[in-house]
Amino acid sequence: MSDLVSATGTAARAADVLLRAMGGRTVMLRMPAPAVPADATEQLGIATPTFHDIPLGPVVYRKARATVDNGKAAKWELLVSASAVESLVGSLTYASASVLFAEAHGVLSDDELLEIESATQEQVFGQPYVYRLGLRAPLAQVV
Amino acid sequence: MQNAKDTFYLTLQSRLAVLNPARTIVVRGVVRPGTLVEENELPSAWVPIDAFCLQWTELQVNSAEPLPLVVMECSIQYATDGTSGNGGMDRGRLLAAMDAELTAAIGAEPHAVAKMNYSAAKASGAPMAMGTNVFWADPVFGATTAVDKRLARTTTVQVFAYQEAGEL
Repeated sequence: MSDLVSATGTAARAADVLLRAMGGRTVMLRMPAPAVPADATEQLGIATPTFHDIPLGPVVYRKARATVDNGKAAKWELLVSASAVESLVGSLTYASASVLFAEAHGVLSDDELLEIESATQEQVFGQPYVYRLGLRAPLAQVV
Repeated sequence: MQNAKDTFYLTLQSRLAVLNPARTIVVRGVVRPGTLVEENELPSAWVPIDAFCLQWTELQVNSAEPLPLVVMECSIQYATDGTSGNGGMDRGRLLAAMDAELTAAIGAEPHAVAKMNYSAAKASGAPMAMGTNVFWADPVFGATTAVDKRLARTTTVQVFAYQEAGEL
């Protein structure tokens, strides 16, 4: 059992080291404030939530260049430290990482807000050691 | 037009919540009745299931009347994967239940309510009743679509309202 615990922790730490060695950086996860219960104006788009940006790192873009299809928004793939995600899930009291990413408004990277299209995780012994976020650039930038 | 859209949505939401209070969704950490208007929420790749998702699609304005008659199409999308504990084998029954709830909510009398201005609610805390009604036709159910095990349907409803002077 101790080998199992040791192995899962080792994988996450090794992933962190690799992310940092590959130029790991910090991006901001833009989270909306919780909704106001029973407030119809929020459901009607009259009142809008405030947002706060939370540092998320180390992260690395899997490819230096975005994937661009003709007439579509550029797409990026971001590898995120599992230990950073676990710490955010705990401190923000979300049920899981998937809920955290589903609730997030996007990832702010170099003053550009990228929408989160997908969030998957790589696991060892059932424990995630890195998260993989599919990101999409704003449609306004499509040429 | 916006007041008519807001009024129809909140009317439909309250009727559906009475019919099935257990149908809820969690939006930004808060449990709400399982109905939302897509254009009023944060853009997201997340597709809500077992909930009613409204989109406002077509619009016609008949200016021949003293008060222009606005005809809007409300597209209501809903989908279900079934209950995971049942292996999704009840997905047809769950979709039928949503069909029945929508039929009952839209078909319930009256087919009209007083148009409300909810923009005023932000300042004063209470919406302001306007001089005309919002009314609607019977729903038109689209074909069931199946993607993997997910069953989905789009139902459309024609919503009518008179555009009052000075109204946005």
